[in-house]
Amino acid sequence: MYFQKKRCIAMLLAGGQGSRLKVLTQNTAKPAVPFGGKYRIIDFPLSNCVNSGIDTVGILTQYQPLELNEYIGNGQPWGLNKSHCCAQVLPPYERHDKKSGWYKGTANAIYQNIAFIERYDPEYVVVLSGDHIYKMDYAEMVQFHEKNGAACTIAVRDVPLEEASRFGILNTNPDGSIYEFEEKPKNPKSTNASMGIYVFNWKVLREFLIADEEDPNSANDFGKNIIPNLLNAGHRLMAYTFNGYWKDVGTIDSLWEANMELLGKNPEFDIRGDENSKIYARNNALPSSYIDEKAETVNCFIAEGSEIYGIVRHSIISTGCVVGEGALVENSVVMPGVVIESGAIVRHAILGENSRICRGCVIGGAFGPTEKKKISVTGKDTLAEENTVILPGEIV
Amino acid sequence: MNVLGIVFANDGSLGDLTEKRTMASLPFGGRYRQVDFALTNLTCAGIRRVGIVTRHKYQSLMNHVGSGEEWGLEMEAGGLEYLTPYSSSQTSDYRGKLESLYAAMSFLEFGGNDEYVIMQDAAVMCNIDLSAVLDSHIKSGRDITVVTCSGIADGNRPLDLAIKLDKRGDVADVAVDYAAPSDYEASMDIFVLSKAWLMQQLQEHIARNLYHMDRDLVLGLWKKKEATINVYHFDGVAFFNDSVAEYFANNLALTQKEIRDDLFSRNHPVYTKVRDRVPTYYGENCQIENCSVADGCMLGGKAKNSVLFRQVTIYPGAQVENCVIMNDTVVGEGACLKNVILDKDVIVHPNAVLVGTPANPVVIKRGEVV
Repeated sequence: MYFQKKRCIAMLLAGGQGSRLKVLTQNTAKPAVPFGGKYRIIDFPLSNCVNSGIDTVGILTQYQPLELNEYIGNGQPWGLNKSHCCAQVLPPYERHDKKSGWYKGTANAIYQNIAFIERYDPEYVVVLSGDHIYKMDYAEMVQFHEKNGAACTIAVRDVPLEEASRFGILNTNPDGSIYEFEEKPKNPKSTNASMGIYVFNWKVLREFLIADEEDPNSANDFGKNIIPNLLNAGHRLMAYTFNGYWKDVGTIDSLWEANMELLGKNPEFDIRGDENSKIYARNNALPSSYIDEKAETVNCFIAEGSEIYGIVRHSIISTGCVVGEGALVENSVVMPGVVIESGAIVRHAILGENSRICRGCVIGGAFGPTEKKKISVTGKDTLAEENTVILPGEIV
Repeated sequence: MNVLGIVFANDGSLGDLTEKRTMASLPFGGRYRQVDFALTNLTCAGIRRVGIVTRHKYQSLMNHVGSGEEWGLEMEAGGLEYLTPYSSSQTSDYRGKLESLYAAMSFLEFGGNDEYVIMQDAAVMCNIDLSAVLDSHIKSGRDITVVTCSGIADGNRPLDLAIKLDKRGDVADVAVDYAAPSDYEASMDIFVLSKAWLMQQLQEHIARNLYHMDRDLVLGLWKKKEATINVYHFDGVAFFNDSVAEYFANNLALTQKEIRDDLFSRNHPVYTKVRDRVPTYYGENCQIENCSVADGCMLGGKAKNSVLFRQVTIYPGAQVENCVIMNDTVVGEGACLKNVILDKDVIVHPNAVLVGTPANPVVIKRGEVV
């Protein structure tokens, strides 16, 4: 079999457990978590690839991959199912040399798939993670990388100083080249946080992945090992500043926030955008939604196939949901297929896929703007029987 | 069972709405084109080879259906074919279905394994289990199966093909272009026949300058007792969009739950071209009542008893009542619309007022600015 040579391909790390999303990732990988009414988190990096002209994407899966694999399928929703391009799911596998097994770290995951990358003989490999919400043109970043003659370019964004110690921080020279990388520093020297988006010269990366694999003390991680090793070896690493919207949705609070940031007249993240930055998603062949005469729909997104008879304010209602007569949904994220029966009240909550909230249930409640968020969460397929109360911040 | 599907795209008869499109590519029900229902019915019954017969103005049809990928028809074996006039040398423009099928003889012949042909018109929309229709045809042992429904014949409306049944369920009368009384069943333009029999009949009919399916093949052969008819009665929702008023009423009927649930059964979803629009955004001051709303809309004003297609924008202060508003149309601030059909890409200026009646809705052509 022959493979067309590619200038640039992408490897998408989608194997993480996402344990901080608690019940939402109990049976599903984080990249498959629903977002924004009709999307899943992985739609964002995948659509970015397509919109950036990258048509070959390896997707590294490991944790609870069933739904994710099914969702990606043959890559058709993203136009990645043609003979010259692909969205290839790459699970861990058994090898002849006993170096196989679960992916030990981000770098090891790529190491185990060197053969996949080599088929395309690429100049550049873009390494992405499957847990961020953003729109970005990777082609511009690759161009920047090429122009600066770097071995590796890392996308960075400016974060508030008080939050900097939660991130990998890159300290740069005036020309944008990186001289130091600090993982979650106590006393950060700068506010350039790594976004977990890398462009590598494949030849260099390949060499460092092989060396890293031979080091028994390595954690086989990009941030902890590969990047410091490249710096120590004197390679040129560049920081690429990205100013657009970007959100790590790795926690319940940030997932809820990112959904809420889609709302409003001038939303923080305008998901609509133009044709060139469209987000593609697998389609469910649902009909239009229906808004009843008794319904009230204010400042909300409602996806197709939903039927609304009650009140929805400042919320995201995903595909195929029902909000019964007299029910109230406020400041909440309602994932696909959820049924909220008549008279139920849902506030400041995330309702997992196909949850059923029966009559008279009260889910979540209010909290002040300065208070710590208390988001109530139901896991996938939860049945909240009649008159159940789920307290603010409670996770079931 | 190898079955070949034929969809007739039908020339448009709805004035401005079909000025530049076939009935098949007429938008319907918020996110569909009329042909989606026929293609979905055929492919859900496991049919993997479909021909679409079309003769004029088929650009929007081809743009919408494409390779048939959304219906799983893009494969190399079988798949989708467009059957247009002049596509093989001997043909001219079609006068009737038989002529168009005769022109497509090589398409019929090519799939040597097909035993049966199911034909459906894009102008009649329903969600029907065609495998049950096929079973009924085979069990009946008759030559032609016609799918019919009651409730359409009313003594005024001319039916293309009307059939009266006797007490035993056998055909008592067949009539063509007839304002049949209500005890007649209306043909839904869905037919099942054996392919060999159809091909033989095509030869015989064309040789005698007979080209009309309903009149010559069904009525003609039945009268001469040369063909037997099996009637399959369909109980679900069947929409015949024969006039603008009917098209308008049938769209608005989608605000009724029973009709939606029948036409868009969860077990038998209707497939259409994917557009990847974002979900619809309902603004701070919008008031939406009894509406069917597709994806990608931006709703700031009031809408009542209406069908909003994809990516419709209604500015704050606008009021829309009993309207059918197609893709990408914009209704400006303070505009007031009642009983109006806005085709695609229409711009309604702020404070414009358009008022029609349910029997005679105002129709604004595609791309117009009012």
